[in-house]
Amino acid sequence: MMTKNYVLAALLGLSLAGTAGADPASVSGGRRLNSLHSDVAVRHRRLLVKHRFEATPLFESTINADFQHTVGGGLKLEYHLSDMLSIGVIGVYGTSLHTSLVDKLLTGPAALPNAPDMRQPSQEQFLDHLNAMPIHGAAYVSLTPWYGKLAAFSSAFVAFDFYFQGGVSFASLTGNCPNNICSDMAPGQPRPNPMGGENLPPDNDPNNDPPLNTGGRVGLYLAGGIHVFLNDFLALDLTVRDYAFSDNPSGADFNADRFVGTNSKTGEDDNRFLNHLFFGAGVAIMFPTTVKRTP
Amino acid sequence: MVVTLGLLAGTALAGPKGGGKGGGKSGGGGGSASGGDAGEIEMDPNSGGGSAAGSAAGGGGDEIEMDSDQGSAAPDLSADLGLADQQNVTVKEGPVKKTPVSWKDIVVVVRKPFLKVRRTELFPFVGVTMNDNMIRHEALGGEFAYYLTDVLAIGVEGMYMVHNFQEPYDLVARQARRLPTLNQYNWQTALDFHYVPVYGKFAVLDKKLITWESYFTAGIGVGQSEVIPRDTHYPGFTNFLIQPNIGANMRFFLAKWLTVNIGVRDYIFVDKFEPTDRVMYPTASLASAHADSALINNIMFMAGISFWLPTSFEYTTFR
Repeated sequence: MMTKNYVLAALLGLSLAGTAGADPASVSGGRRLNSLHSDVAVRHRRLLVKHRFEATPLFESTINADFQHTVGGGLKLEYHLSDMLSIGVIGVYGTSLHTSLVDKLLTGPAALPNAPDMRQPSQEQFLDHLNAMPIHGAAYVSLTPWYGKLAAFSSAFVAFDFYFQGGVSFASLTGNCPNNICSDMAPGQPRPNPMGGENLPPDNDPNNDPPLNTGGRVGLYLAGGIHVFLNDFLALDLTVRDYAFSDNPSGADFNADRFVGTNSKTGEDDNRFLNHLFFGAGVAIMFPTTVKRTP
Repeated sequence: MVVTLGLLAGTALAGPKGGGKGGGKSGGGGGSASGGDAGEIEMDPNSGGGSAAGSAAGGGGDEIEMDSDQGSAAPDLSADLGLADQQNVTVKEGPVKKTPVSWKDIVVVVRKPFLKVRRTELFPFVGVTMNDNMIRHEALGGEFAYYLTDVLAIGVEGMYMVHNFQEPYDLVARQARRLPTLNQYNWQTALDFHYVPVYGKFAVLDKKLITWESYFTAGIGVGQSEVIPRDTHYPGFTNFLIQPNIGANMRFFLAKWLTVNIGVRDYIFVDKFEPTDRVMYPTASLASAHADSALINNIMFMAGISFWLPTSFEYTTFR
């Protein structure tokens, strides 16, 4: 009798263990769950990006630039390795527009003088020190963790996804400060005395120093955006991008050492790591133009 | 015993959720979330079979629920098609045009997971100004909104602001030898109207579904700005502002009583600034009388958590 009880208990234990082992997802914390528990969130989903090539002509403009807005057009090329991961490059050619701050310094009661006056820069000195960003872009990896769909006014239904990008940014900065404006060839250094004898002390005038804010830059790229799919192969692409690299947009003395350039004593430079925020809008074209569906 | 347990378990898993499907758009339009894109069948992995059955009639759990059946009878597409044919025969004469039926014709109607009608939203938030690169204001505020319908609300907001100067403020002073003319904002309050035209849902990492909506705001209010004197020997003065505002916001539903909100508001007003020739107007009243005016768009980003009262709701229509 005792042996029989042991056998029954063993069989019961085995059967329970077998049940639990057969479907571990069916019970969670004492709560019975159905097969949907471990299922994907969406079945028969249109794979709008997976294994597709995306070409996006786009428009881009700076957000809150200090001295010069950059507006321009460009192209984004991206290949979606999977539903969530993609790689791409973006390049933008732009032109520069004065911000309202620059306009106020050129016209009105607070306008800069036409000729250098004390430590004030002249209008020409101020403008010639500003740099422009005709070309910028990035190479990046993109993650698309969210996708979904929305209804607008209960009548228009569109799919969308959110993506985040990170990578390497590059930019070409240009400026034009002629020798008659940027005439100090050795900023912060003693000047040769034209009369001979001992050198003269530094002129301590950063307004005639070369701005040193031109040339190529490489830095960090971060972005976040949204695709709003108009159909299976066209999507509205809205993105906020940050191209972060070393820059000195005003081309003037930033660290208050009275010259433009690297201070040999402190190691400080007037160029510093700056964020360049852009808003971009484009139309993404997906290839191939047809989509597959998940099971 | 093992066989009995197995049978019971099998019955629980296979049992219907209960309740007929009812109106196709029950719950205020949740059906359209999938109706517009026929073919995508969505489900909430968190809605267990047992709990779904229990919540079918009364507003259930917090999760999105899915009708996996249409009643106690097993769905039979061919029988339905036959019935439709019979009806056509009795109504019309002539040839019957059969439309091919596929999975694309099956529309899953998901009930709207969150109802707002006749509920009050308490929305404490923090905010920051976005479009002035010389001075930045950080705000602490709150909003009460009462939803007259599921898409229309009226509310009252208020906020207190503090400011700090940004890099260009110092740069202009040091490099261009100019002291910027700036005002600080102290507080503002407004009566707002909210309209919710957009709602949707998204999957996070293909696992968790989150529903959200987007709403627009328009309102009118008052506020106070204060001149920051360029020369601290002179006193500043305050301005009373009439401030219309417009905005766009997003709301993410976390529970029946809790949402996360983010949004952007544009407060539009005419502000008065310190006169350029301040030395001519040394007192606050004189300076205010000769102040320079300008139209200002103060764009603010806001984020916060909303608490909803009552903390729960009941659906008034069938699933």
